[in-house]
Amino acid sequence: MTLLQVRGVTKQFVTRGEGAMAKKSTFTAVDDVSFEVELGETLAIVGESGSGKSTTARIAARLLEPTNGSVVFDGQDVTRAKGKELATFRNNVQVVFQDPFSSLNPRYTVERIITAPLSYQGIAPEGGRRAFTQELMERVGLNPDHYRRYPAQFSGGQAQRIGIARALAVNPKLVICDEAVSALDVSIQAQVLQLLMRLQRESGFSYIFIAHDLAVVRQISQRVAVMNRGRIVEVGSRDQVFGDPQDEYTKTLLAAVPRINPEWDARRRQKEAS
Amino acid sequence: MSDLFIVDDLTVTFPTSRGPVEVVKNLSFTVGRDDTLGIVGESGSGKSMTALAVLGLLPRGAQTSGSVRLDGTELLGKSERDLRAVRGNAISMVFQDPLSSLNPYYTVGLQISEMYQTHQGGSRRAAKQVAIEALERVGIPDPERRVDHYPHQFSGGQRQRVMIAMALCCSPSLLIADEPTTALDVTVQAQILELLAELQSTTGTGMIFITHDLAVISSIAQRVLVMREGDPVEYGTAEQVFSDPQHEYTRMLLDAVPRIDDEVPA
Ligand SMILES: Nc1ncnc2c1ncn2[C@@H]1O[C@H](COP(=O)(O)OP(=O)(O)OP(=O)(O)O)[C@@H](O)[C@H]1O
Ligand SMILES: Nc1ncnc2c1ncn2[C@@H]1O[C@H](COP(=O)(O)OP(=O)(O)OP(=O)(O)O)[C@@H](O)[C@H]1O
Ligand SMILES: [Mg+2]
Ligand SMILES: [Mg+2]
Repeated sequence: MTLLQVRGVTKQFVTRGEGAMAKKSTFTAVDDVSFEVELGETLAIVGESGSGKSTTARIAARLLEPTNGSVVFDGQDVTRAKGKELATFRNNVQVVFQDPFSSLNPRYTVERIITAPLSYQGIAPEGGRRAFTQELMERVGLNPDHYRRYPAQFSGGQAQRIGIARALAVNPKLVICDEAVSALDVSIQAQVLQLLMRLQRESGFSYIFIAHDLAVVRQISQRVAVMNRGRIVEVGSRDQVFGDPQDEYTKTLLAAVPRINPEWDARRRQKEAS
Repeated sequence: MSDLFIVDDLTVTFPTSRGPVEVVKNLSFTVGRDDTLGIVGESGSGKSMTALAVLGLLPRGAQTSGSVRLDGTELLGKSERDLRAVRGNAISMVFQDPLSSLNPYYTVGLQISEMYQTHQGGSRRAAKQVAIEALERVGIPDPERRVDHYPHQFSGGQRQRVMIAMALCCSPSLLIADEPTTALDVTVQAQILELLAELQSTTGTGMIFITHDLAVISSIAQRVLVMREGDPVEYGTAEQVFSDPQHEYTRMLLDAVPRIDDEVPA
């Protein structure tokens, strides 16, 4: 079943230069983009920095109006949804933002940040807010004793995990992860990815997973869309995009993936095996 | 030749409601001219706090002990005024969270040119030209137009590159880059790493590169420091750390690196 459809979405930004005489100019950040996300599926979006991934994500989450095109969720056109309809949509779609600190209210404690989406919905978690917060903190590898801390008292990767915990708190149908694990060390990253995949199996979450780390994308996604200059240049199953890329840009991208010095790596593995 | 930058027994302590907490413990390392030290480690292990301590930018209440010397001059305990002269001039920093370290009310052009003018002087017009060229060097398309835009009008990776552009136009002796390429696709990342290497070879800049990307570290760093819970768990040449890690945590990290050629579940 199709959960989300993005149809022919275009976004133009009108900008102005400095000074009174400055000319207006229009820039097309997202150019006629269409894709679908199935129920229980992970669609990855990869591509050039500045190619329109975050803008597309914001439009899909109804945080930004498209210039053209529409967003259909669960069979309903939500492009211009308001009031109750929009509120329901917002509960079902959560976003983990690319800039962790600026998406967390600096005056709220972690407990308040994580349970805020529940409060809007008037849900009181079983066992109380504190226990609920602490359990989620633990699941994303944060020290549950820190539930009363403020965002500024956390590191970059810890702040990112607060954003993830907040998104998972309301049992959404779709989670849009915009570079959601980029500030995590590889071991905690693996733990968080396992958690996301387990929730998908257990609760049927869908994900839009935006990331630059192609090895991570290959682990977590079923389908992959590649963006370049505002357009999707290639979309296909994970195995097709990684194993048999069609577009020149996709090929360039795959060829540029950095690898640990192979000689050092081989020596280490040899030692470990013996 | 003496080392450019020497950190000796650095400890950073935060007061908390449960008493003081050491977030960086007895850390020592050196960075030579033209050298790159890679710092990797657990999220929350004190990597950013180390960088902030060096620049005298720790949050209020934090205390430091030990010694941090640049070209023989002690930086710990210097007055705010002296430190301001060091920051941006002798040491440039690329912060982990560009959106909160750029000023939302000024165009990026103004922020780059102010940084440049403060340290190198020159006219406003010349400084704006420097800003445009700096944006071009980090691969921002249409820099003449983008120079007049505000931070929120840039993508995540473009903001990271604005920070890098700003750091580069000061020709610092030491560049501290905290996760500077997490929002860059691999091709743009490769260009930026090349640009940094070029800067190092022409100006002899020493670099501290903090990242979770071990593949990047293995290609750019001569020395590597691994941190966990404020402790330096391993410190050695890149070859040593990658080919013959001594500490269990380093081995665990290297085993956990996701690899593009790994087997994946269908
Ligand atoms: N408010 C805005 N005004 C003008 N231009 C904008 C605005 N927001 C984004 N852009 C431009 O739109 C393009 C797409 O930005 P977007 O943030 O979607 O890129 P991205 O693919 O997420 O990049 P990254 O990987 O660097 O995060 C960029 O060139 C950006 O500069
Ligand atoms: N104001 C504060 N009060 C108390 N503890 C703090 C404060 N700020 C940061 N910390 C703690 O200090 C530790 C070190 O933080 P730091 O930002 O240096 O981590 P990091 O290694 O850069 O992590 P990341 O990779 O996630 O960015 C963290 O555990 C963090 O929770
Ligand atoms: Mg983005
Ligand atoms: Mg950090």
